Amino acid sequence: MCASVKYSIRGPALIPRMKTKHRAYYITLFSIVLLGLIATGMFQFWPHSIESSGDWSVEKRSVRDVPVVRLPADSPVPERGDLSCRMHTCFDVYRCGFNPRNKIKVYIYPLKKYVGEAGVPVSSTISREYNELLTAISDSDYYTDDITRACLFVPSIDLLNQNSLRVRETAQALAQLSRWDRGTNHLLFNMLPGGPPDYNTALDVPRDRALLAGGGFSTWTYRQGYDVSIPVYSPLSAEVDLPEKGPGPRRYFLLSSQVALHPEYREDLAALQARHGEAVLVLDKCSNLSEGVPAARRRCHKQQAFDYPQVLQEATFCMVLRGARLGQAVLSDVLRAGCVPVIIADSYVLPFSEVLDWKRASVVVPEEKMLDVYSILQSIPWRQIEEMQRQARWFWEAYFQSIEAIALATLQIISDRVYPYAAISYEDWNDPPAVKWGSVSNPLFLPLIPPQSQGFTAIVLTYDRVESLFRVITEVSKVPSLSKLLVVWNNQNKNPPEDSLWPKIRVPLKVVRTAENKLSNRFFPYDEIETEAVLAIDDDIIMLTSDELQFGYEVWREFPDRLVGYPGRLHLWDHEMNKWKYESEWTNEVSMVLTGAAFYHKYFNYLYTYKMPGDIKNWVDAHMNCEDIAMNFLVANVTGKAVIKVTPRKKFKCPECTAIDGLSLDQTHMVERSECINKFASVFGTMPLKVVEHRADPVLYKDDFPEKLKSFPNIGSL
Amino acid sequence: MQSWRRKSLWLALSASWLLILLRVFPVLRLAEPARRQAGGPQGWPRWLDAELLQSFSQPGELLEYGPQPPQAPRGGSCYREACFDASRCRGGSLKVFVYSAVGPISETPRKVLTSIEGSRYHTASAAEACLLVLVLSPDTPAGECHPALPQWDGGKNHLVLSLHPTPCLRIFQLGQAMVAEASPTVDTFRPGFDVALPLLPEAHPLRGGALGQLQQHSPLPGVALIAVAEDRGGWRLAGTNFSACPWDGRCEQDHGPKQTHPQATLPNATFCLIPGRSPDALHFLQALQVLAALQEMPLTRVLALRQQAQFLWDAYFSSIEKVIHTTLEIIQDRISGASAHPSLLWNSPPGALLALSTFSTSPSDFPFYHLQQGSRPLGRFSALIWVGAPGQPPLKLIQAVAGAQHCAQILVLWSSKKPPPPRWPETAVPLTVLDGHRKRTKFCVMRECRGTTLLSQASDRFLPYSAIDTDAILSLDAHSSLSTSEVDFAFMVWQSFPERMVGFLTWSHFWDEAQGGWGYTGERANEFSMVLTSAAFYHRYYHTLFTHSLPKALRTLADESPPCVDVLMNFLVAAVTKLPPIKVPYGPWHQKARPPPLAPGGPRFRAEPQPASQDCLNQMAAGFGHMPLVSSRLRLDPVLFKDPVSVLRKKYRSLEKP
Repeated sequence: MCASVKYSIRGPALIPRMKTKHRAYYITLFSIVLLGLIATGMFQFWPHSIESSGDWSVEKRSVRDVPVVRLPADSPVPERGDLSCRMHTCFDVYRCGFNPRNKIKVYIYPLKKYVGEAGVPVSSTISREYNELLTAISDSDYYTDDITRACLFVPSIDLLNQNSLRVRETAQALAQLSRWDRGTNHLLFNMLPGGPPDYNTALDVPRDRALLAGGGFSTWTYRQGYDVSIPVYSPLSAEVDLPEKGPGPRRYFLLSSQVALHPEYREDLAALQARHGEAVLVLDKCSNLSEGVPAARRRCHKQQAFDYPQVLQEATFCMVLRGARLGQAVLSDVLRAGCVPVIIADSYVLPFSEVLDWKRASVVVPEEKMLDVYSILQSIPWRQIEEMQRQARWFWEAYFQSIEAIALATLQIISDRVYPYAAISYEDWNDPPAVKWGSVSNPLFLPLIPPQSQGFTAIVLTYDRVESLFRVITEVSKVPSLSKLLVVWNNQNKNPPEDSLWPKIRVPLKVVRTAENKLSNRFFPYDEIETEAVLAIDDDIIMLTSDELQFGYEVWREFPDRLVGYPGRLHLWDHEMNKWKYESEWTNEVSMVLTGAAFYHKYFNYLYTYKMPGDIKNWVDAHMNCEDIAMNFLVANVTGKAVIKVTPRKKFKCPECTAIDGLSLDQTHMVERSECINKFASVFGTMPLKVVEHRADPVLYKDDFPEKLKSFPNIGSL
Repeated sequence: MQSWRRKSLWLALSASWLLILLRVFPVLRLAEPARRQAGGPQGWPRWLDAELLQSFSQPGELLEYGPQPPQAPRGGSCYREACFDASRCRGGSLKVFVYSAVGPISETPRKVLTSIEGSRYHTASAAEACLLVLVLSPDTPAGECHPALPQWDGGKNHLVLSLHPTPCLRIFQLGQAMVAEASPTVDTFRPGFDVALPLLPEAHPLRGGALGQLQQHSPLPGVALIAVAEDRGGWRLAGTNFSACPWDGRCEQDHGPKQTHPQATLPNATFCLIPGRSPDALHFLQALQVLAALQEMPLTRVLALRQQAQFLWDAYFSSIEKVIHTTLEIIQDRISGASAHPSLLWNSPPGALLALSTFSTSPSDFPFYHLQQGSRPLGRFSALIWVGAPGQPPLKLIQAVAGAQHCAQILVLWSSKKPPPPRWPETAVPLTVLDGHRKRTKFCVMRECRGTTLLSQASDRFLPYSAIDTDAILSLDAHSSLSTSEVDFAFMVWQSFPERMVGFLTWSHFWDEAQGGWGYTGERANEFSMVLTSAAFYHRYYHTLFTHSLPKALRTLADESPPCVDVLMNFLVAAVTKLPPIKVPYGPWHQKARPPPLAPGGPRFRAEPQPASQDCLNQMAAGFGHMPLVSSRLRLDPVLFKDPVSVLRKKYRSLEKP
């Protein structure tokens, strides 16, 4: 290369004197360079197989080959753990400033094998579950490999079971982690805390300020809002297949399936069984176990043997009693069986109780009331029990069934503490998918009647019918509560009339020009809309009186979360064709109002423009039809409520003809509208429209009462 | 040849440069294929022997038992089971005794005492109570913090309550007593045992309280995104297009914000930020990019937060009575266990104080939660006909109602001194006669039976009779006149509005400038705010609420002046729903057939002495702390009502002509 550079500098002067041997030299050089280039190119443009095979060789290491770290006997031990720690005192939130999208970033320390001075390992290197847990974190959105940008640090030292580690040496191993800093922003996972004889309810390893995700906290050791209470994972979750069983009464009302119970509890259970007979089943270890069945999978009552955990599906309620530890893996099995756990473990902090509403899935009974448990459970109505059974199974599916579920729920909780304003809601945590689908959460749920003084904004969509438009403007401007008039000029080929030609009205009149002739433009959330109430009106609706419009606005104020409109329409199920049909005849029912003249909340413009499901919006624009039906679907779907049709029927000058100018309300039109209903119902996945038999009239409408004393006398005149 | 050489030379030259560039600056790599995880984090390794790893627990290990109970409480910590003896609450219902004040007490503690005494949990006997409340006054000198309480018993089953910071709370030997105080610190607060109260202004009203100021669901266009509380008590506004302004105080230059009175500033910002005393607080928020998050918050969530904040204020904070009753309700819920309020009842309108868990814990039994539950009210109704003094069986009315499509049963509440006739007409639906006299003792309110007089009380018609097994009640008087068609249509309407009253005859209230008080009239008008319970559909839950949640004083008032019962029921439903009732058409021919037009103190109780009925409205308003009634200007008619179309097309044609 140097040569070539040199030659290039001397360049032309040398070339004439070049000899044959030089040519060979050049060719060699050239080919070397070319080869190099090709090799680089290969590396650059075809690196996948090369690198992934490289990864493969790097990743597929054995756990036994990880580096060994020898801990000197005098290496520092962290403080025991600060019971007064809270997020605002012990957690360094500034480290989370780098994290995008309101989600914390988690770093995992590389796996090492720690040995004491004598070379004895401080713990077993890593358990299957902890490996799964770290894998789950590593595969999640929380993970980062950049230690400088991480907000939370997870040591790879396995602390899940305190019995399999040496407490002091493990603490020393923690203290020498590169970012330990008194344990700040470090998260430790533990499921089996304490050890004989006193079984502490939190991990005994000194950990200073580190957060503890622990299974089996009591209220004494749990630092509310700092630690996370997690489930004790049941290995049976992965081993046994247990299909969901529907809710309802089961063979046994109450079941106790735990084997290692304190003798006092055994006495109480025996007393319960004696008192309530068949309804209560108390199981214990089997004395003569048949070959080949692991003890964990068998339970016995006297001589009768039962398969565990299948037997849990035979009971409505299942006891979860305190054992040596407060956290019991049986809770996971019980939830999975859709058996409502009856938790008798005073002071136990239930798993994820910071976010999960355990009242919906369990019954907590004080230990001293254990003998009354049967009557306590009997007093719960069956409807509530079935709800609890469903909820129990849902909790297991969402938060108990795998190590991954446990790990991700823990990180979500901590992330939501750091970014509370972006936290996921109670409903997201607690509502089973069926409830989320079946229920409606009205975005305008607060019952309030907006002040009349605010008035409404009329939005007239127009193309080029200027004369008719001006008449509409003049008519609408007579309505007392009109506060602004917005003309959406949908014609790109023609300019709107000059300012001087527009009718002079008492409220501001704005003209918005659109970029494309789309029907959706009528529902765009224009900045010019300052009132909550919007009146959408076509440029040919001249037959509505000022009284009718004002009354419509008053009705909207009483129903601000609904579409309040004039011409009403109905959808019907056509049994012959097996599909929905559009109906515009004189019927006793309504399920839609036409938005050629309708009041609604401006929030629905936002929803229509940005949150319309599927391709409905494009479909409407492409077909130049059915924007009103789409709006009716949208509002009914999000509020779960019916429209309000106001005032008696009038002969409208074909309010539905804007899209098909000139054509009358003919068969094609009706077929097309029916098509829309069927299309939208399939996109929404349901038929959200609600049918009602009422319309709104003024209180004294058609009453035998002096007309001049009525607030809205001019209603229904043709 | 030369040209070939030159070309090859140039080619070699440029190729080598390219090579150098590519080697030296890996950044310039052209088509970098995405590796596993962007930016190339290595991730947690896939171990070769992952399958061989041991489980964290051995099978036997999960099954150990230890004889010891959990570790003994540290520093006198309490949790519910240890320090509160729930077995003293017989039948699982809370009974609250409050120590009366010793010596003069200031305004707020007196309001607290009044609130507790007005609660349905209150008892005058300390022996009967399972919760004993000690109200601390902020003015108690530190030396007098130890009142001698005979029932103290180390604080067991006691609640020490203080709405304002008081030195006594720090001095007092709390022992096992629960503490309800404003803004407790996390260090002393025992979750699930103590109760955190809001810090309220000195002049907080006893009941009712100012309604929330939210007038519309969405923020006004162009209002500031955030108002930041300042040390001096003012507020600084920050618009929607600002950078670091709220943090470094440079807003003044940027947007010329105004120092205004808090009340005036608060509603004009979407969010209010109270940074706390720590100087780091603002930097803390900045580090987390709270502002960016608020700016990007979806409109749907902003609306939800606005409405929820307002709901919480109205339901639990707006008066001292609400704060105190909420505190007691929280404790009652802890005692109730499985029959406590579900979360939905606490967190959606009308709130847990108005959704009694003694009625049901299943949300779909109430009229309020059908949308959230995806449920509907039961599709049938019970007609409840009150027969008063004249004692005439309303045979015509019974036939009209029994013919209604969705009528499940007819209940006749016989309150006349005359005995009911032994035989009743044959009807399509079951007819039961409830004895208004003898039943009364059975339905004593909260175990307090009123007097032994045989005269029935006006409010007895709203007792939660167990015979009512439908969600809807059609409440009627013996002399009411209705057609089957009217009943059918009204019930269809009620199913769309199960939380409201749907009635035929209306009253409206008004502010009487001349009298300086509220008045009401039964004359026909362009608007109305009450429907008469002599012919109205409503949810049976309102019978429970009427009987168990209204203050005794108001019920007594209604009993003493019977037309007040209608007013009271309308007040109650309006206070719960914050919405007007609904009027449906009522044939004018009925009016001709009945005694003089309905006016306050109307025909139902004409035999009774006429009360100063306008007074009723004002006393009720005082009792509620505000005027809950809301006016409506509409009537719901059938879709084709009086339309110029063939009558054969109309479903409810007889609504137009008898």
